[in-house]
Amino acid sequence: MEIRPEVVRGAVASVDARRRWTRGGRKQERLPGEARRIAYLYIAPAFILYAAFNLVPLVQGVNISFYNWDGITPGTWAGLSNYTDFFTDPLIRQGYVHVLQLMLFYAFLPIVLGLFLAALLSRIRIRGLTAFRLVLFLPLVITDVATAVAWTWVYDVNGPLSTFLRAVGLGSLVPAQGWLGSFNTALPAVGVFGLWGAFGFCLILFLAGVMKIPASLYEAARVDGANAIHEFFAVTLPGLRYELQVVLVLSLIDTLGTFDEIYVMTSGGPGTATSVPAYLVWRRMFQTSQVGSAAALGITLMLIIFAVTYAANKLMDRWGDDE
Amino acid sequence: MASSSVRIKIALAILVASVVAVGCTPGGSVSQATAPPAPAVTGVPDTGPITLTVWDQESGQVSKVWDQLNAEFEQKYPNVTIKRVNRDFGELKTLLALAMSGPHGPDVVEANQGWPDMGHLVKAGLLLPLDNYAQAYGWTSRVSPNVLRVSSWSPDGKEFGTGSLYGYTTMGEIVGVYYNKQILSELGLTVPTTFGEFEQDLEAAKQAGQIPIQFANNDAFPGIHEFATIQDQIAPTSYLTDLIFGTQRDQLSFDTPENTQAATTLQDWANKGYFTPGFGGAGYDDSVSNFANGEGLFMITGNWIVANLGADNTNFGFFPLPPADPGDPPVATGGAGFPLAIAAGSEQPDAAAAYIDWMTSDHASDLLLPTGEIPLHNGKTPTVQPGTVLADVVDAARTVSDANGVVPYEDWATPTFYDTLTSSIQELMVNRLTPDQFVQNVEADYKDFQTSRP
Amino acid sequence: MNTSSRTTVVVNYALLTICALVAIYPLVGVFLASLYPTGPGSQPSGFSLPPTFAWHNYVTAWEQGKFASSFQTSFFVAALMVPASVVLSVVAGYAFATMRFRGSQIIFWLFILGLIIPTEATIVPLYYDVKAMGLLDTSWALIILETSGEVAFGIFWMRAAFIAAPKSLLEAARIDGANSWQTLWRVMVPFARPAILTLTVLCFADSWNEFFLALVFTINKTTAPAGLASFSGRYTQDIALVSAGAVIVAIPILIVFIFFQREFLRGMLTGAVKG
Repeated sequence: MEIRPEVVRGAVASVDARRRWTRGGRKQERLPGEARRIAYLYIAPAFILYAAFNLVPLVQGVNISFYNWDGITPGTWAGLSNYTDFFTDPLIRQGYVHVLQLMLFYAFLPIVLGLFLAALLSRIRIRGLTAFRLVLFLPLVITDVATAVAWTWVYDVNGPLSTFLRAVGLGSLVPAQGWLGSFNTALPAVGVFGLWGAFGFCLILFLAGVMKIPASLYEAARVDGANAIHEFFAVTLPGLRYELQVVLVLSLIDTLGTFDEIYVMTSGGPGTATSVPAYLVWRRMFQTSQVGSAAALGITLMLIIFAVTYAANKLMDRWGDDE
Repeated sequence: MASSSVRIKIALAILVASVVAVGCTPGGSVSQATAPPAPAVTGVPDTGPITLTVWDQESGQVSKVWDQLNAEFEQKYPNVTIKRVNRDFGELKTLLALAMSGPHGPDVVEANQGWPDMGHLVKAGLLLPLDNYAQAYGWTSRVSPNVLRVSSWSPDGKEFGTGSLYGYTTMGEIVGVYYNKQILSELGLTVPTTFGEFEQDLEAAKQAGQIPIQFANNDAFPGIHEFATIQDQIAPTSYLTDLIFGTQRDQLSFDTPENTQAATTLQDWANKGYFTPGFGGAGYDDSVSNFANGEGLFMITGNWIVANLGADNTNFGFFPLPPADPGDPPVATGGAGFPLAIAAGSEQPDAAAAYIDWMTSDHASDLLLPTGEIPLHNGKTPTVQPGTVLADVVDAARTVSDANGVVPYEDWATPTFYDTLTSSIQELMVNRLTPDQFVQNVEADYKDFQTSRP
Repeated sequence: MNTSSRTTVVVNYALLTICALVAIYPLVGVFLASLYPTGPGSQPSGFSLPPTFAWHNYVTAWEQGKFASSFQTSFFVAALMVPASVVLSVVAGYAFATMRFRGSQIIFWLFILGLIIPTEATIVPLYYDVKAMGLLDTSWALIILETSGEVAFGIFWMRAAFIAAPKSLLEAARIDGANSWQTLWRVMVPFARPAILTLTVLCFADSWNEFFLALVFTINKTTAPAGLASFSGRYTQDIALVSAGAVIVAIPILIVFIFFQREFLRGMLTGAVKG
């Protein structure tokens, strides 16, 4: 799934933890009892496992990234050249350009759609919301390899999309090489898959958020003479600030790590039209034996994710402070 | 974030750890696989139950023949059970090294020749040198030196085409032009004998509303065959062979006028609509069935689709793409087929060798012949029914081989060549690259590799 | 805010229905495609029902895709990964929630860091580490890696759940003379049962859906999603068969979702939807 739960929760957690720790001083709770040494024993198993397989490899990865290595014979020192490749290697640049383009479909469009629809739908009480939620969450919950296969069928030359277009007389829109085989439509096609996966989640999330906004705020706005659009910008949007922040950050991060659907639907093709950084990492590790470069790509990706998280959080905070 | 002092502590910790780790160069010396001693007796040792795990990428008819051969081998040696793992060509390329590194590795594998696959495996010490077995079973005298050469590597994996033998096969391949006899005669044409005539035939077919060349490139590899077949007629054979083996390191370049001309021709054909409409998104298997069903005058691909057409089919014929000048010797891509190799981690190398011997025996090649596999045994003339597509294929293979016009597969030339060629050709054929950009792209890969070789 | 004029209501339900249809259509589509007869020449068509319902495709897909083996691996991995992740998270989360100790902040932040570190950053060295341990192509590699990846979130989750426990509960246990271990299992765990259930469900989903790790680290002993990817790559032409495979892989997680939707929703929305 393009919005991996752990990333969802990761972003949630990072934002939330931050709020907890910084609200009113370093620690807001006074915990009972004196300092407990036994705590280390409780934490140890999880931490040892985590450190061994997440932290240590991170350091190792940084190390490997400074070498040109084929994975077998001893590597040769490459200094920062694997990192400067970010600027000089057209394949790497292309991969990042592609995820940037995918962000439109994986992040911005679902959010905008979700916001818009949530605002529209919030005006009434909805019965059977549970059933709708169930269906709207399906795209995200079901294994994305399976949904990607489903969409490969959707994009088939004889699949639902093409059949539908032909039926309404728009058959000429169907590209000759197929949606996933044509250089111009392959990436947007993957994008639409991501949009499909994300928008249900955004809608439900924002809907739930909107319902928490006190009615009094809306009444106050209406008394001030606001129409629906004013209401949206003055009450709804600010009221959803927290949800917006979380979803924005998590979906941006998630897009950067896109892999599964690329592997299943296009293998980075046609040519390299849908290659993305995560796919490049895999390729360089296994197909072209450029292991040092793969490691550097992974580290760069992580740094970019840090930067994006930081920037998005800062931006949202700034917005909140303006209130 | 956490308070700045905490952040600083974390950053320091990471810095220290990194500095400590930086001293370590990744990768160690690889123990090259030692050749097992020559077996005292050939055949499977009678040492109790043996399971041989075999990885292959065969499909269709050939796969069925394999099933039969496997069953017969198990009958011949009752203590042997063969566990067959069948994967497709693309998967085998990417996953073989991983499969052979784990604890449940295979014993016998079909390892594609060339730098990307076999070269990589040899370098990683994952394949056994087969020289002792070759001697014991007499493999070296059964086929021509060329067949052995393409599976030979220096034990450190640094030189291709020389050194120890790492794979063996007695079946050959050839890439050329299939034609639909009925459509050909309907168009009032005869089998072209020059490249120019061939191009005229393409135009004639187009005018008559036929698909000149049945083709589908979603799987990426068919593009290589189209390009290489054209290239074979323009660039000198010795140049191509040297390029692929890398014998002249970075003295040879891919950026030559001949290669540019080949690229231009391929692009021209695509622009003139000589290939199946929508070829970029269509699948290879579909295109083969379509051709078998009468869609398309020509199809440029290899001997392996004889099984799909039917060996006895008299409505299809085959010829190597003709050279530019009549009277010039025929040139075609092909040579040794998929070789079998023994994994260095195999616990049953002797049994594995006996298996390889069985799968490359005269009996095996007799069974495989109807599927279009060309037997390469010295002095063996396969019995084929004249006038059938199989006869044409076998004939063409022999003619080209006799004229020393066999060019190995181009994607063998560097560890990344398969990737670079397939994607560049895909782009070339839809005008996303000019022929000049194409050869420069490919040359960048080639030069990169050759200059980095020790 | 109940401006419930009839048009608004109708329009709203229509909108929601459209969204629901869009969400579900590709899934329905692939299910229909899976029921077409397989083999060459059978072309599923976009909008019509299959001529006959070829349920047999599922048997064929099951066998050809070797799903028996990959399902077995997937279940085995989940069976070990989920309890391990949950137990480790509960225990560590409890410590973070109820005890003070030096470095607790740093260690906690290190765990949070793990939530943002993408798999791609560590996959390269991890591959060689796992190889050096002789664990390539084993279920153990997946179990260990998935667990170590999951505890970062799990600890955050359980810590939040335990912090929400009323102090009185802890005090009462203290007065009763219970030590920390007893307090955890006799008092805190029962209190936080919904959160633990949610975590369990989410861990299962993560494990079942994990593809990238399975692709990199396993080949013979591979999981359901990787098995499906391999299957669909080999049979690209046989749409009906591949579709059947996709449905097969989707079914277990679908069942879990239907039965535990409350937990799923709570897990995915909580924290984002706060008062």
